Amino acid sequence: MSVTRRSVLSLLALGPVLAACGVGGSSSSGSGSQRVVRIAYQNFADSTLLVKDQATLEKALPDHKITWTSFDSGASINTAFLGGAIDLAVIGSSPTAQALCPPLNIPYKVIELLNVIGDSEALVARKASGVTAITDLVGRKVAAPFGSTSHYSLLAALQQAGVDPGAVTLVDLEPQNIQAAWQRGDIDAAYVWTPVLSVLQQDGVTLTDSAKLAAAGKPTLTFTVARTEFLDANRDVVDKWLEATNRAIGLVKTDPGVVAEAVSRQIGSSKEDAIAQLKQNIYLDHAEQRAPEYFGTKESPGKLADRLRDAAQFLHGQKKIESVPELETFRAALIAPGAVDGK
Amino acid sequence: MPQALAEVSDKPQGTARPASRAPRSTPAARTVLVRAAAVLVLLGVWQLLALAGFWPPVILPGPVQVWDQLLITSDAANGQGGYAGSTLLERLGVSLRRVGYGSAYGILIGVVLGLVMGLVPLVRAVTEPAVTFLRALPPLAYLSLLVIWFGIDEEPKVYLLMIAAFPPVAVATATAVTGVNRQYVEAAQALGASRGHVIASVILPASAPEIITGVRLAVGIAYSSVVAAETVNGADGIGGMVLNAQRYNQTSVVILGLFVIGITGLLIDTAIVGVQRALSPWRGLV
Repeated sequence: MSVTRRSVLSLLALGPVLAACGVGGSSSSGSGSQRVVRIAYQNFADSTLLVKDQATLEKALPDHKITWTSFDSGASINTAFLGGAIDLAVIGSSPTAQALCPPLNIPYKVIELLNVIGDSEALVARKASGVTAITDLVGRKVAAPFGSTSHYSLLAALQQAGVDPGAVTLVDLEPQNIQAAWQRGDIDAAYVWTPVLSVLQQDGVTLTDSAKLAAAGKPTLTFTVARTEFLDANRDVVDKWLEATNRAIGLVKTDPGVVAEAVSRQIGSSKEDAIAQLKQNIYLDHAEQRAPEYFGTKESPGKLADRLRDAAQFLHGQKKIESVPELETFRAALIAPGAVDGK
Repeated sequence: MPQALAEVSDKPQGTARPASRAPRSTPAARTVLVRAAAVLVLLGVWQLLALAGFWPPVILPGPVQVWDQLLITSDAANGQGGYAGSTLLERLGVSLRRVGYGSAYGILIGVVLGLVMGLVPLVRAVTEPAVTFLRALPPLAYLSLLVIWFGIDEEPKVYLLMIAAFPPVAVATATAVTGVNRQYVEAAQALGASRGHVIASVILPASAPEIITGVRLAVGIAYSSVVAAETVNGADGIGGMVLNAQRYNQTSVVILGLFVIGITGLLIDTAIVGVQRALSPWRGLV
């Protein structure tokens, strides 16, 4: 028989490939001699926007085609990674932890810590609600975008204050809807990020923020992740990325005006807002990132893997992942910046 | 089942073509068989594709995994109360209640507006562009506005479904009312019927089939908008489940949710077609 099951199946498998050809405009594979680097970023004030704005990477890699795609959340970035559509991405610690656990098991590596989220994310209560402490939130309506770093921080804050999350009505809302619900008085409190946060703080009481939680051992972080296959084949590109972002991280401290101008051009905010937003996070250069609290060294791995595992345990409590792997799995997914060649 | 069908159709119903109905039973039974076979073949191909492992299960889970999710999400005692706090059945109930209220208000407004549009040309000239305008708007686009106006509880969801549901009913009713045979109306008027009487006894019954076709469309549109309606604080519905599962790449739960919406939608549509046949038996079987 000439038609075997395998050949029929491989024909079926061709379907999506043909479909992908038919939609046009998909530049997923390398076009001829030019190598393609596909970067996913998010529209919040960060050093990576300076790299994008100044086209640092494009200038350093003239024979590469660099594409920047904006995403609204880490969850959608993970979906893009699953489809193999992204090489490098700016992503929060909660979605990263999820991606490293089954069933997703996305083959990517954390190559850099872009920032530690500070008071750019905070828990605020409406003044009119009379809530002045986290323990007052029992029986109240509290909103956060589920699956985000804010959601993680909210539950960590409740846990820290000894409040059972089941005793609080948690509402899943996107930031702009939080603002609408807040103005109508539909919610009593919210854990959210800027710029919505700044609006809420005008008639709200800040109960805690991510900087305080970070100090108490529950930090939320922003990473650069790289697809493992891409990382292995394109060390030169990754090195250029690390060099460019490290310089940008340094500039946030030494010359924030330049970074703020780039950020305001990219996200369409005023320069003052951009400076205020940049100052709300904690930036560490590559040397600082190799400290024992973060990546550590190859000989003595740092605490970053533990933090990722904490986030994974939180997701497991929410039944969003099947199981929490051993610490070793998280350590294997971390590559300290500046140590890429040494690995 | 084929036997029962044959028995029913052997009985002459009314005066309409008693002879021609008898041989219909065999093709009808065959249609059911062919449909069942087609579904089974599709499920088989799907399972084979999943087993072949061209894509990881996160991208293409098999029917077996989706079935497992059905069992897990229906089990209230699985540690998370079904899925994220509510079982599948509770979620279906919540969403159907929203669709029910939204469609009911939408149909009520649609029939009344359509009737007036059909009877008074001036009203039609004024409201028709507005109805078409609303029909062209995607529900997700005006949801933000509804949230700002009506908050995050049940109101914006029901209003969204209502706005989505009423235009097809209004358009269908207006067209049906305009199309009613003038002779029926004149005959009724000649017999001394008042305006209200003509509407209730002549115009509405004569337009019923078209109105119900509009209702079918409306319920379908309302049901397909439920995922959009539940993007804002709708985590307890079936659309909320699909959105939540998508956020965490739980693809088998997404597929399960789509199947539940699709199959219940099919059942609701079948029920409406049943009502249509009962209300206007003089219309042939479509």
